[in-house]
Amino acid sequence: VNYLYDKSFEGFLTCVYHHWYTEKADGIFADSEYQLDLCRYALTVETDEEKAGRVLAAVEKKLSKWDAQRISQAFCSNEPEKEMKLLRYIALGFRRGPKIRLLHGDPVVKDVELIERRVSFEVHRLCGLIRFSEISGPGSETPLLYSKIEPDNDVLEFLAPHFTDRFKNEPFIIHDLRREKALIAFKKKWEVSSIAPDHMDDFKNRTAGEHEYAALWKQYFRIMATKERTNPKCQRNFMPARYWKHLTEI
Amino acid sequence: MSLLKVLLSNDCVYDCKYCVNRRSAETARRTFEPKELADLTIEFYRRNYIEGLFLSSAVFVSPDHTTERMYECLWLLREVFGFAGYVHAKVVPGVSPELLTQVGLVADRLSVNIELPTSESLSLLAPQKKPEKIFSSMTQITKTQIEQKTLKSAGNMRRLKPAGYGAGESDTIGIEGSRLRDRGAEGLVRRRNTGGHIVSESRRVNWKEKFAPAGQTTQMVIGASPEDDRQIVRMSEALYRRFTMKRVYYSAYIPVSGAPELPPLLTPPPLKREHRLYQADWLMRFYGFSAEEILTEDAPNLDYDLDPKVVWALRHIEVFPIEINTASEAELLRIPGIGNVSVKRILRHRRIQKVQYDDLKKMGVVLKRARFFMTVDGKYYGGKEQGPEKLRALFALEERHTKVGGLETVVNGLDAHAIHAALGGGEKPQLSLFETML
Repeated sequence: VNYLYDKSFEGFLTCVYHHWYTEKADGIFADSEYQLDLCRYALTVETDEEKAGRVLAAVEKKLSKWDAQRISQAFCSNEPEKEMKLLRYIALGFRRGPKIRLLHGDPVVKDVELIERRVSFEVHRLCGLIRFSEISGPGSETPLLYSKIEPDNDVLEFLAPHFTDRFKNEPFIIHDLRREKALIAFKKKWEVSSIAPDHMDDFKNRTAGEHEYAALWKQYFRIMATKERTNPKCQRNFMPARYWKHLTEI
Repeated sequence: MSLLKVLLSNDCVYDCKYCVNRRSAETARRTFEPKELADLTIEFYRRNYIEGLFLSSAVFVSPDHTTERMYECLWLLREVFGFAGYVHAKVVPGVSPELLTQVGLVADRLSVNIELPTSESLSLLAPQKKPEKIFSSMTQITKTQIEQKTLKSAGNMRRLKPAGYGAGESDTIGIEGSRLRDRGAEGLVRRRNTGGHIVSESRRVNWKEKFAPAGQTTQMVIGASPEDDRQIVRMSEALYRRFTMKRVYYSAYIPVSGAPELPPLLTPPPLKREHRLYQADWLMRFYGFSAEEILTEDAPNLDYDLDPKVVWALRHIEVFPIEINTASEAELLRIPGIGNVSVKRILRHRRIQKVQYDDLKKMGVVLKRARFFMTVDGKYYGGKEQGPEKLRALFALEERHTKVGGLETVVNGLDAHAIHAALGGGEKPQLSLFETML
């Protein structure tokens, strides 16, 4: 049977629950992306917080807390078929226990390691490549830091620890344009909420100082480059071209 | 990590011949107000343009005056703006010890530029900079770190002593290790105020000020003076061992003046030489090599065609092949194509089961190099045994097709043939997917 779910992590965990208690899963798909499969039934799974919670608790108990964290991070990947890869990892973990993370040679473990690595690389890169602008927020005079990103993976919540630690007393927003949602944080508290496209104008209002500092930074970036040491390939390794769109300096 | 790398001033009283901002150069002179620069740094940091500040300066008025202004800027950043990012501060040679201590308490990393590999070159090209002053600042930094117990050596240098394949560590400059280990240098420890709008206050309570917690580094100019690579590498080794520095940086000289003591204008910067020096530097920091092993008296320069680890291996072909399943960590690190990460994986794997040839590729070993220098469970995979000369030609060819120091050549399908030819032509080429496609 193919399970269809609502793309949420809880939805996925509910599918995992049904894999054991209802019927074995042959595939798990987001219902919005499912293409009709003539050989298999498709069952739409109703996301159930309680069932999801039980699966997560079982993962923490039989594998480890660390693995639960790994699974949630790998889940935000844009990798196709990540659901089945994660399901196989959980299944193997139930059999092998907490040492599963050491089985680097096992193809099931390797798949998940690769997905996780891609996500954590992107989180790491974005920590350096996000550029904030100071804007006057909607309906208030207090300036606020705002940035736009279009990441490959759904990484907002994994960016939160780094930036909430950095901005202890300033509100900031990291807006994922691709997924139309944003990380909104102030004083160590944060949440991810969806933002409708027609709210974009709320973030247009840059402060006077913003233009000045952005211009200074651009000028610095241009002038500091050593002509004799230009190495575009190396530059692209550290900051891949797909991130350039939202970089102030380029 | 991206840093705001900036001079507080370019208005220099010194006339170092290799420098764009030397006294005699005609260039516009500017000096930041400490407040201006602190403000710029914090605004860039807020926008996540930068992770930290790399603050240097020309010497204006005097070393102490310059350092006072730099300190004022850093103090504002830390205490008034609550900046918790990274700060690397240059130490102006000749600065008074009290000021240096102050700067060390607000900076994460300190560096005093050694500038040139010998004092002769220094007095020729940077006559106002005195070696004694450079070394006395370096010594003070190291001593204060010892006193605060924050001294950490670079890479694996403490753990991996030179493996005893040749000469031991060299000793070129006149500071005795034992004297340096003495306690009781003039370091100061004080408490930092709380405050600032970016840093949480809780973290600052009972904060004990650390002196240069990210260690000491230095930098020298390559190619402006006549020293050979052996002198440079030995100097670096001495800096690592005597001062326990974290890094030595090499900077290829880009001609800025037509002074007769210097390479003529338009000479391209020796980027490839710089690259090889960094490779040699890595061998000392992470692979347990000594300077004497990397460069001998009769071959005092690094080979431009081959990386220094391969050169060493070919010169010491008698220690190879090394058996992967029994060799020590230090021995494994000598095999070209095997680095620190692969060594860790090999050691971990060996505890559970024997390493097989096929496992090595998964572990990240570069087999096209390593296979000539190792055996796996007694078996040699390098084909018919090659003499050092043939291997040398083979590796040089491979190198020429990869990117080195910003100079790039094209990789194309002809490689296999060229490499085959270098291996001595006559024999049958090894069958590969590539050739069956032809």
